[in-house]
Amino acid sequence: MHRRRVGLAAFDSRDQARRFNELSSALSKTQVDHLQGQLAQFRTALAHFAAEHRDDIRRDPTFRHAFQQMCASIGVDPLAGPRRAGWWAEMLGLGDWQYELGVQIVDVCVSTRDRNGGIIEISELVRMVTKLRGVQAGAVDEDDVMRSIKTLQPLGAGYQVIDIGGRKMVRSVFKELNDDQTSILVVAHDTGGRVVEEDLMKRKGWTRERAHLALENMYASDGLCWIDDQDEESGRSYWISAAIQWNE
Amino acid sequence: MHASTFTTTSGFLLPSVHSLPPFFTLQAACPPALAKFTDDWIKTILAYARHRQLFFLKVEDAETTGNEWDEVLKNERINRKLPPPFLEHIISTMVTRNLAVYEPAKQTRTVLLHWRLPQEWADTLHQWATDTGHLNTILTFYEITDPPVDSPLTGIPVPLLRHAIQELAKTNLAQIISIADGEGVRFFAPSGR
Repeated sequence: MHRRRVGLAAFDSRDQARRFNELSSALSKTQVDHLQGQLAQFRTALAHFAAEHRDDIRRDPTFRHAFQQMCASIGVDPLAGPRRAGWWAEMLGLGDWQYELGVQIVDVCVSTRDRNGGIIEISELVRMVTKLRGVQAGAVDEDDVMRSIKTLQPLGAGYQVIDIGGRKMVRSVFKELNDDQTSILVVAHDTGGRVVEEDLMKRKGWTRERAHLALENMYASDGLCWIDDQDEESGRSYWISAAIQWNE
Repeated sequence: MHASTFTTTSGFLLPSVHSLPPFFTLQAACPPALAKFTDDWIKTILAYARHRQLFFLKVEDAETTGNEWDEVLKNERINRKLPPPFLEHIISTMVTRNLAVYEPAKQTRTVLLHWRLPQEWADTLHQWATDTGHLNTILTFYEITDPPVDSPLTGIPVPLLRHAIQELAKTNLAQIISIADGEGVRFFAPSGR
C-alpha cells in the first residue's frame, strides 16, 4: 500500500511538471518558428521562381515537364487547383492554364464528334488544339493534354484516354468499346481507315459472320464508322472515322 | 487516309470530306452520319453554285456526265459519284430548309437554288438598277437577265427575278408592268429617305 506523498516533496513534483511543460512548449515554438521561417523562405523562392519562369512554364513543354517532375518528386501538385493549392497555383497561374487547355480540348472533341464518333487520336487532338490556340499561346503536347483530361474528370463528362493497340485515343462519349470494336480500331489504323470483312478474317481469324456483325454494329448502332457502297473490291467497305486524318 | 481539300479546274475549293469515299454513299442506317453528310453536301453544292453562278440542279446531273456539276457530284480521283437517290434526298432537304425550291412546281427532280435568298437578290437587283442608271425607266426582263455588260444578275432565272421584284414591290421600290411583248419592271428610288 502506498501512502500519498504529502508535504514539500509533493510541491516539488508539481513544480517540476510545470517546468517540463514550459520547456516543451518553448521548444515546439522554436520549431514552429523555424518551420515557418523555412516556409516563408520557400515561398519567396517560389515566388521568385514563378516570376522568372512563369512564361517558360507556359510556353515550353519541355520546361513544363521538368518542372512538373520536380513538383512530383517533392510531393506537390501544381495543378491541384486554387482551392487545394492556394497561393501555389495562383502564383504560377498553371491551374488556369490547365483549365483553359481543358476547355479547348472539350471544344475540339465536341466539334469533331460528328466526324469521328467521339473517339479521336491524341496526336490529332494535339494538332487541332494547337491550331485552335494559335501561335502565341505556345506549344502543347500529349502530356499536357492527358493532364488536362485528368482535370476534366470531376465534371463527369466521360473524357477518357484509352489505349487502342498501343495508340492513345481520347474518348469523349460514354461508350464502352467492346473487344471486337477495339480490334477493328487497331486494324483501321493499319489500313488507313478502310476496313472490310476480309481484313478481319485474315488478320484476326474471325468468321465472316462475326466480322460482318461487328462492322455493321459499329456503323448502325455506334456511329463509329461510315459505309462506302462503291468499293471496287468488296462492294461495301467500312471507314472507321477515328482513323481518318483531316487536313484542312 | 488523309482527307484533304482539293482545288478543281474551275478554281473551286472542295472540302476535305469530298475526298472521302463514304461521302458518296447514302448512310441510310446511321441517321447522324446521314445528317452530317447531307449538311456537308448542301454547303458544298450552294458554294459551288455561287462560284459558277449556277441556278438549277437536277437529279439528272448525277446520272449523266459532261454537265456543269461534274466537279462536285463526282470525284474522279477516288472514282466515286453521288448516287441519284442520295441527290434526291439532298435536294428535298434543301427544299424543306428553303435553300432551294422545286422549279417548276409539282415535280421533285429539278430545283432552283437559293444561294442567295430572294431578299438578297432583291437588294442586288435594286443596287444594280441604281448603279446603272435604270431607275424610273421601264426594263424588260430580258434586259436584266441578258444585259450587254455582264452583271451579277446575268442568267438569273425569270422565276427568281420575279420573286425578287415582288420583294422590292412590297416596299415600293419596283413595279411589274405589262408591256407589249410580255412583262417589264420599273425601279424607283427609295422615297422619303
